[in-house]
Amino acid sequence: MVAGWLVTACETTIYPTLESAAPVLIVDAWVNNKPEAQEILLTYSQGYFDSSTPPPASGASVTVAESTGKIYTFSEDDKKPGRYVWKPATGETFGSVGNSYKLSISYNGETFEAQSRMGRVPPIDSITFDQDKRIRNNETIYRAEFWATDPRGIGDAYWIRSYKNGVLLNKPSDINIAYDASFSAGGATDGVQFITPIRRGINPNDNDANGNPLSPFLPGDSVNVQILSVTQAAFDYLTQVTVQTDRPGGFQELFARPLANVSTNIVNAKSSGSKALGFFNVSAVSIRGKRFKQ
Amino acid sequence: MYCKIFSVFLLVLLSVLIPVTAQVKYTINGTIRDAANGEALIGATVYIKEIKGGASTNEYGFYSITLPPGTYTLDISYIGYQPVEKTLTLDQNIQLPVELSAETQQLEEVVVKAEIEQANAQNIEMSTNKLEMKTILKIPTLFGESDVLRSLLLLPGVSTVGEGASGYNARGGSVGQNLILMDEAPVYNSSHLFGFFSVFNPDAVKDTKLFKGGIPSRYGGRLASILDVRMKEGNSKRFEASGGIGSVFSRLALEGPIIKDKASFIVAARRSYIDVLARPFVPILKEGGALNFYDLTMKANYNINRKNRVYLSGYFGRDVFRFDKTQGFNWGNATSTLRWNHLFNERLFSNLTLLYSKYDYALQFGKDDRNRFSWNSSISNVILKPQFTYFINSNNELNFGGDVTYYTFEPANAVGTTNGKAVDISLERKYNLELALYMGNHTKLTDAVSLEYGLRYSYFNALGPGTVYTYNDTIPGVRRTPVSSRTYGSGETIASYGNWEPRFSFKWQTSPVSSVKGSYNRMVQYLHLISNTTASNPLDVWNPSSNNIKPQLGDQYALGYFRDIGESRAYEFSVEGYFRATQNHIDYIDGADLLINRYLEGDLLSGQGRAYGLEFYFQKKTGRLTGWASYTLGRSELKVNGINRNEWYETRYNQTHNLKLAAFYDINSRWSASANFIFTSGTPTTFPTSRYIQQGILIPYNVNDSRNNVHIADYHRLDIAFRLEGKKMKNGKERKNSDYWVFSLYNVCARKNPFSVYFSQTDQRIPAGQPLPSSATQLSIIGTIVPSVSYNFKF
Repeated sequence: MVAGWLVTACETTIYPTLESAAPVLIVDAWVNNKPEAQEILLTYSQGYFDSSTPPPASGASVTVAESTGKIYTFSEDDKKPGRYVWKPATGETFGSVGNSYKLSISYNGETFEAQSRMGRVPPIDSITFDQDKRIRNNETIYRAEFWATDPRGIGDAYWIRSYKNGVLLNKPSDINIAYDASFSAGGATDGVQFITPIRRGINPNDNDANGNPLSPFLPGDSVNVQILSVTQAAFDYLTQVTVQTDRPGGFQELFARPLANVSTNIVNAKSSGSKALGFFNVSAVSIRGKRFKQ
Repeated sequence: MYCKIFSVFLLVLLSVLIPVTAQVKYTINGTIRDAANGEALIGATVYIKEIKGGASTNEYGFYSITLPPGTYTLDISYIGYQPVEKTLTLDQNIQLPVELSAETQQLEEVVVKAEIEQANAQNIEMSTNKLEMKTILKIPTLFGESDVLRSLLLLPGVSTVGEGASGYNARGGSVGQNLILMDEAPVYNSSHLFGFFSVFNPDAVKDTKLFKGGIPSRYGGRLASILDVRMKEGNSKRFEASGGIGSVFSRLALEGPIIKDKASFIVAARRSYIDVLARPFVPILKEGGALNFYDLTMKANYNINRKNRVYLSGYFGRDVFRFDKTQGFNWGNATSTLRWNHLFNERLFSNLTLLYSKYDYALQFGKDDRNRFSWNSSISNVILKPQFTYFINSNNELNFGGDVTYYTFEPANAVGTTNGKAVDISLERKYNLELALYMGNHTKLTDAVSLEYGLRYSYFNALGPGTVYTYNDTIPGVRRTPVSSRTYGSGETIASYGNWEPRFSFKWQTSPVSSVKGSYNRMVQYLHLISNTTASNPLDVWNPSSNNIKPQLGDQYALGYFRDIGESRAYEFSVEGYFRATQNHIDYIDGADLLINRYLEGDLLSGQGRAYGLEFYFQKKTGRLTGWASYTLGRSELKVNGINRNEWYETRYNQTHNLKLAAFYDINSRWSASANFIFTSGTPTTFPTSRYIQQGILIPYNVNDSRNNVHIADYHRLDIAFRLEGKKMKNGKERKNSDYWVFSLYNVCARKNPFSVYFSQTDQRIPAGQPLPSSATQLSIIGTIVPSVSYNFKF
């Protein structure tokens, strides 16, 4: 942000040789209570510059046990190896708020486990749009904002995800997480309306071909906001993911944090066994959408 | 064990003091000043031929020598000044104030004579560098703006993580392990415009001294180095204005006598104006944005009488960065120092300092008063510092005194306002008291052996009111969560620490031109700069030691060989080896949350550090071509449980090779040229081995859990500057005012020196399920040649 115009910071794409590494099992298990099929993806890590589709881990047995004793079985998709799916019966949703869950994956003679708990979510009261004029070219910028209040009680954590015209905003810079109503546990903002940057963190920040910022929304666009409850461990995990993946580059790299591995909550039942990475989280979801009419 | 050390210390001290009282002796003392402007000269030498020894002036230009009655020849000299020789008969106490005149050019014979007594091999100081303002002004710089801190980077054992990074790293220490003093006031953030400039206005700086080792007992509080910057007192002879117009900022300094030879003042100001110039081209500036800094340095002194002198100095500076009219942030330092020099008797000099120093920053976001997030933070302190020097005899100089420091920390005052409803998420203030007592003696045992030994006792107390947390023990490297809290009342002790800090240096003169020097010092640091970014940034907070954070301890050993070369001793050479072991070095868990976090201490790790290296230095001091070469071979490592498989890893600022060349050449009476060249090994960084996808986001991963496992490309840079002195004569008469132009080229080879390499997924929006391209990007802060011109004047 501070400026290509202060000094001419310049960037070059480089292709360093990286240390070679054996593939690691990756568990991508973010399950929620939306009334739809839930999926868990098992893949392998790749060399950093390998931009192909990640190799699937096929033939695993995947279950989630609820604290009530109920077992959810995820079966592998015939057409998409490595994709394990639980399909709800009519009217059924995955789990309920307050219950604990244990993921078990049996794969290649090893068992991987992870724990989660479904936390509560507040309803979204409303979504508003506001406008701002850019002095430079008199262009109007429209931004969306959702309104919701964190329920009383310290320690709720959320991942707020938004869709523009049905498409999930999913760049690293779009990650919008909250601990109670603000950014961190140390913030002490329990039981109040989410703070401004979180309420407004649902806007896409994209540039046009010339690098000029685009208005996040225009009349006629729709926005759909979903608040997913996450565990505190998942909140910490997403914090780390943001630090490690949201790299706008330029002058901001002066103050970037060094590369470090993000944590995981997947553990091998045998501590001497092979390692797996990724995360298991069970969320409750509250949803609200709105089409922007002027 | 330290009690024992202390007893031995006292015994040694007494054995030195006792014989002193036996014989009748007289004292010669006085202040040595610049004849042109009355500025006290720091470190000028008074050499007495008959005893082949003498004294040098302290920070206030004062010296005192006590000798048996007799006739003595004194050689009074200071680098760059014409020496004065005085013969006197000592049969009573004598006051001998001396004024030295700056040498004009072509006085090389005299220069040589002056330098003999100041030769580096003769001085007990080691691991210490003094940079003359004259030299700093000649060093080619970025945007042609001379800078004290950037110039230090040309010295051995001093490095930086890159352009734009604030502060400096001394002997493999972190930026937060340096104590930077401006007229004795600690400066908590020494940078303007992030790290491109420092807070020191070159027009107002008199003397800069960097202690990397052999640190005297009167200094304490940081592990790696002490940078002692002294400001000018102001011309006490005549009114003078000086200044400059450069491409980034303009400077103006006014100085002059208030009462001639009795009281003087200096006021120096700077303001950057790059934002003013850029306004038509940069939209953000037209919309009310700003990016600028300014500072004001002031000092006045009054010579009450021969025995009393008072100084008042102050600094105020601010950096302002705004995105628009209401949103942005700003930060800055303010310091003020009141000093009173008092001479109790001919041999007992004292200085009492009372100072206040503050660093703060403030941010504000939001459209209007009803919807806003504002946040500010500060650290401030008040220090009372009595210091005494007892000039026992020509072989002993005893320093003693103490510091009392009271700190107030405001980690965060933060308020979020939504539709007029405010939520206060401020953190509690922290209060701390730091005390220190010290004593040190500089003694000449024989003609060949000198010692400087001292002891400092420091005590730190974290005081209430406040709430403190205790944290659970978990796997190292994972966030610790609070398990209990306790609230303390006002003035209650939350935690306290006391430490003995022994200091010792010796010099063994192996020949008139060569010596071996060694030193050991223990330093203790009670304040910690909390920063886990590549370069330290203005929002970094200082955190005091507490029930959870122990003070950092550093033990440094250094050994060096010093030699003056050439018949006229025009060259000097030195090599020094050092080793420093650090305990309780701070590091951070991966993903640490350092800002507005009341549970911050749960994210901190503590480990051990070690830094070692060899520094070579060669300097040519006289002639038309002067300059130096400095090479450091070094290593700086940390070992912290929970990081890098619990093995040693290189610090982010580790540099194996660090070579610097600086050259200055007088072409003719008006033109001079200067050049410097820097080569440093690429600093360590962490590269991933692998990638994986989680919820559509590409995450880099290092299978070996390594930290700083690779090095970025080497750094090298050549800078050149030409200086053109204005005409000395006008219409056959000598001009009253003087001026000069500086034309400089920074990074002549236009090399794209890497600052860092980062790994990221594509910035494009990729449809769900499609493969995500990943890339590595090397960032150069200044990837091109930067020419600049500045005009400087004095009248």
